[in-house]
Amino acid sequence: MVDGNQSAIELPGKDFSESRVEADGFSIRYLESGSGYPLIWMHGGAGLRLSRTHDLLALKRRVIAFEIPGFGESPANDRTQSMKELAETMLQAISALGIDEFDLVGNSFGGKLVAWMAVCAPERVQTLVLVSPAAIRLPKPDDAGDRGLGPDFLYAHPERQPPFEPRSEEVVTKERALISRIRGPARDEELESSLAELEVQTLVLLGTEDRISRAELGDIYRELMPACQVVMVYDAAHALDADRPEAVTSVMEDFLDRHEQFLVRETSGLLYP
Amino acid sequence: MLAALFCTTRYGGPASHTTWPAACDTYSAEWAEKSIERTLSQFRAGDEAGFDWVTVAEHHFAPFSMTPNPMVMAASLVNVVKRAKIAILGPDIPILNPVRVAEEIAMVDTMSGGRVVVGLMRGSPNEYVTYNINPAESRERFEECYKIIKTAWTQKQPFGWQGRFYEYRSVCTWPRPVQDPHPPIYMSTASPEAGEFAAKNRIGAGFAFTTVQIASKAAQFYRDKCNEYGWTPEPEQIVYRLGMHCAEDDDEAIEDLRSAGGGQPAVGLSFRNRSVESAVAQSGFYGRDMENQRGRLQSRGEVASRIEKGQVLVGTPETILKQIKRIRDMLGCGVLDLSLGAQLGDKTMKSIELFGEKVLPRMHEL
Repeated sequence: MVDGNQSAIELPGKDFSESRVEADGFSIRYLESGSGYPLIWMHGGAGLRLSRTHDLLALKRRVIAFEIPGFGESPANDRTQSMKELAETMLQAISALGIDEFDLVGNSFGGKLVAWMAVCAPERVQTLVLVSPAAIRLPKPDDAGDRGLGPDFLYAHPERQPPFEPRSEEVVTKERALISRIRGPARDEELESSLAELEVQTLVLLGTEDRISRAELGDIYRELMPACQVVMVYDAAHALDADRPEAVTSVMEDFLDRHEQFLVRETSGLLYP
Repeated sequence: MLAALFCTTRYGGPASHTTWPAACDTYSAEWAEKSIERTLSQFRAGDEAGFDWVTVAEHHFAPFSMTPNPMVMAASLVNVVKRAKIAILGPDIPILNPVRVAEEIAMVDTMSGGRVVVGLMRGSPNEYVTYNINPAESRERFEECYKIIKTAWTQKQPFGWQGRFYEYRSVCTWPRPVQDPHPPIYMSTASPEAGEFAAKNRIGAGFAFTTVQIASKAAQFYRDKCNEYGWTPEPEQIVYRLGMHCAEDDDEAIEDLRSAGGGQPAVGLSFRNRSVESAVAQSGFYGRDMENQRGRLQSRGEVASRIEKGQVLVGTPETILKQIKRIRDMLGCGVLDLSLGAQLGDKTMKSIELFGEKVLPRMHEL
């Protein structure tokens, strides 16, 4: 997939700085940029990868993207036994940064994590955004494999992305062990019954070309969470924030700022005064 | 094979058929009413004669066709055409609001008890002037519109849309189509880009304003692409549009058509405004096969040449059946969409009836 053009694509996240925070016995790495109301982002099963959406969001708010303990270069996480437990750990990490209330975003595997976080601490979460969430899992396509998702699954247009750097076998094995231990069933009754009661304003973003968290999930989330809004992101696959950063940022910001009132257009259609 | 009857709702009074947009200075409401009544009579006759579909289409600012919104005509046909399917071929989706298109088609499908067939079109080049849409964006708009329309028909819960050209915060159409999950969909597949998109999305193929020789190559390309995407289109998923005039005698049929100017205007809508066509061509509207695409839109000629090019069926039922078999063999199409471009009064009505009586039963066996 890597070619000369891809190498020339600017890597996102250059304004993000790296830090660590101690929480629940873990030393947790995070990337941060921007100032204003905090937006916490939990990554998916492919690990912490910033997209241009992170950059664009950080122009107007304080964006903090955590690396889940057990992912990337962090030591293997053999301790966490469930998503709910991981949610409690990450809530402690946010508190350790002195942040009480925040907007919360999670994609894919991180979508299930943030759903649990919102269930555990609804009073702290101002708005919840589920990006290609795996809180409910549909059967995988036959060719998806079990090593994690490559660029053809993550992106509708892999050729427009910076070179995809595969993780080492060791990292993948470590991450897969954690994911398979804690991710829970495809339909998680305990989580779903809690989501049905959740009053946090929620936005679900689904890519029209996503073969994992497919568009049909829109109906399922709407039926499950009466307060949630579902938006299809056209011509985007699983990593929809990387595929359509301007479109994703625009709808996310509108929702974060105006909550359900984002349904009503505020921008002018006037051509000439 | 199936046959569709296509009436363009041509304005019958004096008007310019060589310019676009055509000025309304000779317009008469009386002529317009008469023209619409004539169209309804022809559709009614087609239904009674056994045509499988009746076809309406979208064109703007020209007396060639007074159905700028084909949905309105389709809705009126629900009670005129009792049996045949109503083929809306189609809305020019890149210049329209796709949610509105999804709603209107669902309405007509519901009103007709699930008899709608849909052709989602890009429209002819001039249509991009109509609502001031940049033709350079036509194909991308088409592809996005298609996805919006299909999503609107298949999602049951409200959804928003964050597209490239379209943005909606909440869509949930009522009514929904009767046909589950939605009516059969076709698109024009003249260009390689369109053929590939149709194949990828399992959309039926349509060919119009072309020749059977050009369409045969495009149909083969479409079939090959379908094969690459792992499916084989049914014959009924390939529609070919051409003119038709049937009479008791071959010479009489040809003379009828000749007297009506060959059964189609000397200049197609696309080329009635050369400045517009040229600007649209420069925008990249035609895609990588531009010369071929422009060429087919200008392919005119005498009746004999038009028969050879598969642009018109003309003659007795026996003669027309031979012409149909030739086209089918060359193209592999399962539906012929037969245009009544030439308006010859009683002779046109007779042509519809004769085709229904003598051609259709045998065509259905092909």
